[in-house]
Amino acid sequence: MLVMNNISKVFQTADVQTHALRDFNLTVNEGEFVSVTGPSGSGKTTFLNIAGLLETYSSGEFTLDGEDIGKLNDTGRSRMRNHKIGFIFQSFNLIPDLNLYDNVDVPLRYRGFNAKERKRRIEENLARVGLASRMKHLPSQLSGGQQQRVAIARALATDPRFLLADEPTGNLDSEMAQGVMTLLEEINQQGTTIIMVTHDAQLAQRSPRTIQVMDGRVSELELHLATANQQAIA
Amino acid sequence: MFSYYLRLAWISILRHWGLSLLMICAIGLGIGATMTTITVNYLMSANPIPHKSEQLFYVQLDSWDVNEPYDDGLNPPVQLTYTDSTNLMKANKAFRQNVQAQAYGVIEPADKDLLPISVTARANSADFFAMFDVPFIFGTAWSEQADIGKEQVIVLSKKINDQVFGGENSVGRTIKFDNNIFKVMGVIDLWQPKPLFYDISTGAFNESEDVFVPFSLIAEEKIRRSGNTNCWKPSGDGMAAFLAGECVWTQFWVELNSEQEKQDYMTFLNAYVEEQKQYGRFERPLDNRLSNVMQWLEQQEVVADDARMMMAMSLMFLTVCLLNTIGLLLAKFLGKAPEIGLRQALGASKATLFSQYIIESACIGLAGGLLGLGLSFLGLIGIENLYGEYMQGLATLDLTMMVLAIVLALVCTVLAGLYPTWRACNISPAQQLKSQ
Repeated sequence: MLVMNNISKVFQTADVQTHALRDFNLTVNEGEFVSVTGPSGSGKTTFLNIAGLLETYSSGEFTLDGEDIGKLNDTGRSRMRNHKIGFIFQSFNLIPDLNLYDNVDVPLRYRGFNAKERKRRIEENLARVGLASRMKHLPSQLSGGQQQRVAIARALATDPRFLLADEPTGNLDSEMAQGVMTLLEEINQQGTTIIMVTHDAQLAQRSPRTIQVMDGRVSELELHLATANQQAIA
Repeated sequence: MFSYYLRLAWISILRHWGLSLLMICAIGLGIGATMTTITVNYLMSANPIPHKSEQLFYVQLDSWDVNEPYDDGLNPPVQLTYTDSTNLMKANKAFRQNVQAQAYGVIEPADKDLLPISVTARANSADFFAMFDVPFIFGTAWSEQADIGKEQVIVLSKKINDQVFGGENSVGRTIKFDNNIFKVMGVIDLWQPKPLFYDISTGAFNESEDVFVPFSLIAEEKIRRSGNTNCWKPSGDGMAAFLAGECVWTQFWVELNSEQEKQDYMTFLNAYVEEQKQYGRFERPLDNRLSNVMQWLEQQEVVADDARMMMAMSLMFLTVCLLNTIGLLLAKFLGKAPEIGLRQALGASKATLFSQYIIESACIGLAGGLLGLGLSFLGLIGIENLYGEYMQGLATLDLTMMVLAIVLALVCTVLAGLYPTWRACNISPAQQLKSQ
């Protein structure tokens, strides 16, 4: 479970203070699929970065899976990211020098799995996203949709409790976007909590719950039933 | 994880081969220049007889002119007079003692097909060989009785034995040296102390002598002496007058096995000089010295000033190379900011990333070190060719220096990598991932 109480984030430059988040309150329960929408500069990405422990917050309380994040040092935060959080980015963020196998291997190395376990997880997750036959390919040899699938395989390889996706379909055409979205829904149905930032209202509507961020605050909550969404899309 | 980091470093070096090559070249040049000069200094200042350098003492007595002190009174003369050397030998107060001087001559091989050979010689007493651990292939040193009896005996170097006797055991055979017949007592193996500590009066890095003959034969004029001779007052004509004069041209070494023996020997030297004062000699204040091997080499400044200067300059050059490496590493690591941000997102702590990039720096350092070793070899060959015989044998990298080159390269590169790595590890992952 992710709980944020009165989280604020202030970016301080030489003479300007920017309040990216103000009294941000949100609870995401285990197994939820939450879409986060809002205009550019509203604080969506800052929220996602704080939720993913990539950014610290200025004030407030944040617990993830019962752990008080404010009390963790760099090593603790890294460990938490590696064990409990998976990331999917708009621009895929694969390491260009490494082939698909080695890209998926990265978080597993930090987890400390032995070679046999890493191999099993890599092969299993690349097969899950339909790229088992391309393990030795470099990212540059794949299409955008395929690269995003590799990024998803990498995110899933550590069996994370939370999957944080920042515009996961932003660089994909609509057909590929639908494919990635379907994959995320399958992952969610298997129990992984997903928080997805998106500009795409249609994609947002496919998730059971959508929150809108305005001026660094959660402005309203919309609850959708997954079945209703599916009907609407159909 | 170490092997994983090594693999990542290898991939990174190949991927950014141009930048990596620049760094490897910068480190290689710095290490090459530094190791070349360090090696020369190291070999110049090496202990030539480490197992007993603390027991061997060079003797100095100040018999110089009271009105014009030797070395402005800072140090006694470097060598001794014949009178003092022979008196000290006769006193026989040390565990071992050796009087010596340089000599030269011509060997006429019995085989008429062989041309006469001009040789360098050392006129020394019997203890020379045991005192300086001279290795023998055949035979032994001559005896003390041979010194006293002024016997015409000789010890050959391997080179001369090879030339004259074809490398056979020549002990007991005779050889014509400077028109006198000498009996071969022994043949020594290759022996080239660096520096040539037992006599640095005409060059600390000369080759060891071709033949060794009893010092007592100089007085008999059976051998011709050479080397530096310094006189502060004229001696009369003829060899007897020269030997009785105040010219310094002999060197005197003693072997003393304890501090007590050293103190006792110094007491003896002081008493000897006091006694000599009664004969009108040694008008200057007492300034007798006993210097062990390393003290003696240090006092005589065996390591040339220009070698020290070159080493200092090469260290500055290495610093410049490292500063360039810092800049290149900074460019390389900051260029990897997106990957660093991603790795942080995937669970790498700062400490983990620090290890990864320091290992990459070390790999570059290792490659630079190997290149530097190669350049050091070339540099030393260049120095040997430039300085000729003076540097013969000094321009070699031994195992110690090779290990030092690699360690120096690794340490320098890791140090150079600290700041770029620290900067890279403090990259904000959120900012990098967003900027992709």
